[in-house]
Amino acid sequence: MATTGSVSKTFAQAQDAPLSERDLDWAVVQRVQAGNVGAFDQLVQKYREHIFSVIYNMTSNREDASDLTQETFIKAFQAIARFKGKSSFFTWIYRIAINSTMTFLKKRSRRRYISYENINEEVSSTEIFESLTAKTRTEKGALVQELQEKLNDSLQKLSPKHRTVVVLHEIEGLSHAEIAEITKTSVGTVRSRLHYAKQQLQSYLKDYLA
Amino acid sequence: MAKQPNERPTEINVEDLLRLKRSERPSEAFWNDFDRDLHQRMLQTLVKKDPWYLQVLRGFSGRIGQSIAVAAAAAVVAMVVVRPAFQPVVAPTSVAVAQASVVEAVRAPVEVAVAELSLAEVAELNRAPDYHADAISVDTAADDVNFVRDFGMESMQVASYEASAYSTDSAHARVSFASTGVASLVY
Repeated sequence: MATTGSVSKTFAQAQDAPLSERDLDWAVVQRVQAGNVGAFDQLVQKYREHIFSVIYNMTSNREDASDLTQETFIKAFQAIARFKGKSSFFTWIYRIAINSTMTFLKKRSRRRYISYENINEEVSSTEIFESLTAKTRTEKGALVQELQEKLNDSLQKLSPKHRTVVVLHEIEGLSHAEIAEITKTSVGTVRSRLHYAKQQLQSYLKDYLA
Repeated sequence: MAKQPNERPTEINVEDLLRLKRSERPSEAFWNDFDRDLHQRMLQTLVKKDPWYLQVLRGFSGRIGQSIAVAAAAAVVAMVVVRPAFQPVVAPTSVAVAQASVVEAVRAPVEVAVAELSLAEVAELNRAPDYHADAISVDTAADDVNFVRDFGMESMQVASYEASAYSTDSAHARVSFASTGVASLVY
């Protein structure tokens, strides 16, 4: 299972040598297009956690995120014959994921119950958590749960468009240019949405900020 | 020496808090179930055949398909505009029969009639109260059984309904008279 470090590493690699990452994926895509259906599994293994993470943070529901992640890969599989490689595979699959999630969020008029993933235990020993525990004078276990709820709640208060930019940039570590390509907007629009979204989050999470 | 976080709390900003969300990750068991379900759904996708209309639509996604779609749309529009012309004309074998057919149509108003007539015959028709005929050509060769004429970029008048509610639609057309004498319009 990829760690958070590997998520940013993948994109860092893609930025350092975008052609090679892109070419690697394109080679796999071409194998699938040639009839090697099993090769698609390589793409699933490579991107499933990134896609799940984006959708999970957009929906705050692990079951919905699981369904939508599967739906994303099935859509990609069905459409892969028409993928011409004009954009990178990761941009393409992220776009499918974002569009599917947006459609889902529009249909979901009322918020469903929120179901969380577990926070990795290593996190509770980070400097930030130490500092938060001191600041809020809350027991660590309780603080983890409280903060998790507050973060998800705050993200859900943002509009889907603002949430998308925050999730892709702050959690997934994508660059402004990559987000612009995925969301088919300009870099300026991405920056402005990010700025506004962070202002909103700052007010929602002010109790935890130093 | 153990770290004393209470002494100098780290400054925390929104980015730091959001970064914590990176650590919310599903377990290995979750991914095992995920892979199993995904493979099942993908197999179903492979086995399941799309309905015919989806396959046709998919075929229309290319440039050739677009051309076919445009041609089909043009054909539909042409049929809507010219369709009435196909309805009332009774198969004449000559110009005289065609005229008789039109005159009969005047008695019981028809939507549209198309026929090749002489100028005198057109004048005769226009004396009838409920019908108006437009002369679109004058050609003695029109009496020939397999007469064909291309109108090119000229427009052809298609009359509909009675003279009082007369409307015309212009269309570029090719008019021909087959051996049956039925006028046909080809776009």
